[in-house]
Amino acid sequence: MPETRARIGVFVCHCGKNIAGTVDVAKVAEQAARIPGVVYATHYEYMCSDPGQALLKRAIREHRLTGVVVAACSPTMHEDTFRKAAEEAGLNPYLVEIANIREQVSWVHSGPAATEKAVRVTRTMVAKVQGNRALRPAELGVVRRALVVGGGIAGIQAALDIANAGFDVILVERSPSIGGHMAQLSETFPTLDCSQCILTPKMVEVARHPRIRILAYSEVEEVSGFVGNYRVRIRKKPTFVDPSKCNLCGECARVCPVRVPNEFDRGLSTRTAIYIPFPQAIPSTYTLDVQNCLGILPLRCGKCAEVCEAKAIDFDMHEEILEEEVGAIVLATGYELYPKEAMAEYGYGTVPDVIDGLEFERLLSASGPTRGEIRRPSDGKVPKEVVFIQCSGSRDPEHHKPYCSKICCMYTAKHALLYRHAVPDGQAYVFYIDIRAGGKDYEEFVNRAMQEERILYIRGKVAKVFREGDKVVVWGVDTLTGKRVEVRADLVVLAQAVVPSPGTAELARKLRVACGSEGFLREAHPKLRPLEALTAGVFLAGAAQGPKDIPESVAQASGAAAKVIALLSAPKLAHAPEVAEVNEELCSGCGICAPQCPYGAISVDEVAHVNEILCEGCGTCVAACPSGAMTFRNVEDEQVLRMVRAALEVADVGV
Amino acid sequence: MSGFEPRVVAFLCRWCAAAGADLAGTNRLQYPPHAIPIRVNCSGRVEPQWVVEALKAGADGVLIGGCHPGDCHYVVGNYKTRRRVYLLRKVLEEMGIEPERVRLEWVSATEGGRFAQVMAEFVAELKRLGPLHEPGGPG
Amino acid sequence: MKLKLAVYWTGSCGGCDVSFLELGPGLLDVLPQLEIVFWPALVDAKRGDLEKLPSRSIDVALVNGVIRTAENKEMVELLREKSKQLGAYGACAHLGGVPALANHAPGFTEVVFGPGFRPASPWPEAPEDAPPALLPEALPLDEVVPVDFVVPGCPPPAGLIARFFQAALSGEVQAGQVFAEDKALCEECPRTREERRLTRIVRPHEVVPDPKTCLLDQGMVCLGPVTRGGCQAACPQAGMPCTGCLGPTPKAGDPALAMLSALASLVRAGEEGEDAFPQENQILDSLVDPIGTLYKYAYAKYARPLQRLARRREEVRA
Repeated sequence: MPETRARIGVFVCHCGKNIAGTVDVAKVAEQAARIPGVVYATHYEYMCSDPGQALLKRAIREHRLTGVVVAACSPTMHEDTFRKAAEEAGLNPYLVEIANIREQVSWVHSGPAATEKAVRVTRTMVAKVQGNRALRPAELGVVRRALVVGGGIAGIQAALDIANAGFDVILVERSPSIGGHMAQLSETFPTLDCSQCILTPKMVEVARHPRIRILAYSEVEEVSGFVGNYRVRIRKKPTFVDPSKCNLCGECARVCPVRVPNEFDRGLSTRTAIYIPFPQAIPSTYTLDVQNCLGILPLRCGKCAEVCEAKAIDFDMHEEILEEEVGAIVLATGYELYPKEAMAEYGYGTVPDVIDGLEFERLLSASGPTRGEIRRPSDGKVPKEVVFIQCSGSRDPEHHKPYCSKICCMYTAKHALLYRHAVPDGQAYVFYIDIRAGGKDYEEFVNRAMQEERILYIRGKVAKVFREGDKVVVWGVDTLTGKRVEVRADLVVLAQAVVPSPGTAELARKLRVACGSEGFLREAHPKLRPLEALTAGVFLAGAAQGPKDIPESVAQASGAAAKVIALLSAPKLAHAPEVAEVNEELCSGCGICAPQCPYGAISVDEVAHVNEILCEGCGTCVAACPSGAMTFRNVEDEQVLRMVRAALEVADVGV
Repeated sequence: MSGFEPRVVAFLCRWCAAAGADLAGTNRLQYPPHAIPIRVNCSGRVEPQWVVEALKAGADGVLIGGCHPGDCHYVVGNYKTRRRVYLLRKVLEEMGIEPERVRLEWVSATEGGRFAQVMAEFVAELKRLGPLHEPGGPG
Repeated sequence: MKLKLAVYWTGSCGGCDVSFLELGPGLLDVLPQLEIVFWPALVDAKRGDLEKLPSRSIDVALVNGVIRTAENKEMVELLREKSKQLGAYGACAHLGGVPALANHAPGFTEVVFGPGFRPASPWPEAPEDAPPALLPEALPLDEVVPVDFVVPGCPPPAGLIARFFQAALSGEVQAGQVFAEDKALCEECPRTREERRLTRIVRPHEVVPDPKTCLLDQGMVCLGPVTRGGCQAACPQAGMPCTGCLGPTPKAGDPALAMLSALASLVRAGEEGEDAFPQENQILDSLVDPIGTLYKYAYAKYARPLQRLARRREEVRA
């Protein structure tokens, strides 16, 4: 029992007149001196001053104090000050507690009641200190390497920033090339610079960076461990092409007899089974798509290998499982568009000339299936009437997604504008609910589209889209005039809702990272910790966390990278020791604690285990534990019960 | 009951309610001095047994102060507290103890005024309810 | 030297006295080592016989039953004086047990016997034949006399009885010993647990439980997580939730409040947040009779201080 040997010191601060003007500080000290276990009690004008701290240190040494209560201002002010001073005098800092008799007593009460409350508040903290144990912060080494999952613009930016700070980065990308959706875009709002032109140099920089290792065509299989010490298993699918030998001559693709829809062109063109997703792909190598290849098993074709002069094609390549240790993880898994097939009102994706925004990007792109000419998919005609439908699947809680996808107002304006540039005699219509153009130069951009480009903006929702002859008929309502609108269009472009990329939920589960109800990765705090997942050491970048445009994704990626750099730069990870702790003698392993923890700090086998580094110290699991096996360091139940009783004892202040 | 001064224990979470109480101090907002605050990291640490122990040990009422829904520093601690207090109040009521004696309030770090007001209201309510204990009872 | 044993019943159902038979053939090893000095359920003996015994002449006395009447109180005080060690045997003596839930219904005699009920007045010529007066509250044994050890359960399971006799016969009963596990029942429960969450609360008769998975996960209020092990999770194994007869684990405190906190923590109605509050409340409201469920055996031991405060409040209000 620590309290039997307890030698507590109580130091009551006057804080000039701030406390002493209201509270009888001498009385508080005198009353404190009567508490069993208190061997020294005094009051002093300014405890936080140098002489005040010297007084504290001297008393700790002279009276061999085992615990200290400083009755003063709020612990948010000087808890650190007094704990440090105590440590310098040889007393464990966690044996020092603050009784707040300023903010919560002298400044808000008056008369004898203030003194009485000060006595009780002080006594309550003495009761706490009597139960405190000396603690030491947990320390842990850090693996100075980061994993970035997702090779879109967010992942690229995060990888570059971390690598440029001097840390090794593993960049995992599921598809054969990094670049993400940004590589598919034609031009970017509001500046209309060519997406490829600004992205490609960054991709090349990644490829050349000595500290970045790209694992394309790879997926994260399993993650274990915790902040600073993650172990990651990465599955690397075979490309059957040795990138170090492939010289991109393209002979293989020329002889390949297979034609399948080209994912990069959103199915608007075809590709061969051995292919390069786009000319600037990084890693710059061909990939053999084993699902569609005729030749690998059984060996029926093999034409590509025959023509490959570099002997880069290796049919015996196998899947690899790589095990890597990393200290931090950035999730930048990006977005996908909500499928057209989900839009009953717009023809379930069965009308060929109803396309989504990314398909239109490919039509606009100079390297796209139409070499930048706007030709509609059904018959290759240049469309003269094009309808753009915003909020297709967004802001529709009853049928689709309740949220705003944020980027569609801007890219639709860009689409309509670029369409008008490409087809000067064409007419563009935009159906919208509101225009949300919050961003630097964004409003001006939309205004330009509306005014200078004579794009017809119709406020209202489209009720139905259907095919009639070679036209696509759009029925809508102009809610500003209340009139029905019918447009017999040649092409309809749906600004489909932004949704998390497929596999986000699965990856989140592997990492014990939470997803919100719409499947986007959830940040640790919506306002104050937007770059971090709740799981320590996991950071978020880009549209995986919610719909974002390029500048926002890049900004968040750099922010996440800064967090990673700070984490990897620490010589050791130190963690406050006032956390939950399991008494394994009493724990039955019932597991009620584990789901209470938002940080995934608790694992349960025969008994529960708290990962001291991950535990943030809320104590919710402790209150949930029915058997009393889960405890909280220095806020033990018995300690609090003693505090409660001390708080309620009537104080004799002689009034 | 004119001379009755209720005794109160207030469990305050460090990030919101206790910070709100500090702000009430900084703004010099006067409120009844009846409650002794006990600061915890999160209202989610507060155990029903603490509340009942306070009532047994002489408190006429217990206040639990946490962050507003959606603002919990530990994301979801306050939701657990809300459910625990909800059930505890049901049990107390069934025992014959006024559930109003246990009060859960959301007070943010910026709501110094609200903290003072909650204190004043709670003490007034406890005065209206009358003492839980006999004169000279525990404590 | 045989162990001088006394067994006495106070307010009990008799099940504890029968429970010794659960030892089966093991009883044959135990019996020859016992000298039964007082055991009204087994051998005829009256209070006078007990009074005649010298002080501390009984090695071990076991009391089963709640202390309900003035006579119960006198008898256990007498036993205490005559015994070296006295133990609470069974949930009633240990915690108050089911009969002590009567404390929760102070007017229970009226409820049970109808209005106007009162104990019959004795014949003036034979006052000793008067029925013993009821105490104002039913009490666990340790509220009346110091208790050295506990053999818990309703009734105590055979394994724990055997463990007690083994200790008693070798003179190794420790002060304060509870003949059960320190870890909760879940330790010995074979049911499996997945992700813990409580999306509904049901009573045992409302569902046919899955035979493999945790009853709590199926919505039953199983007190296993707060109750000492030692019964091999007999009830959960049979598809019934634990009701807590072995008493709370050493650090649980008030088992009802501890379990209340656990249950409320586990409740989920979709994603946690303000929108879910009404449905969460609905789930919590579906806990029928929280006091009878959570305090089934432990009401007298743990709820009495609050209950006294409540009584006083009722008087003040009246």
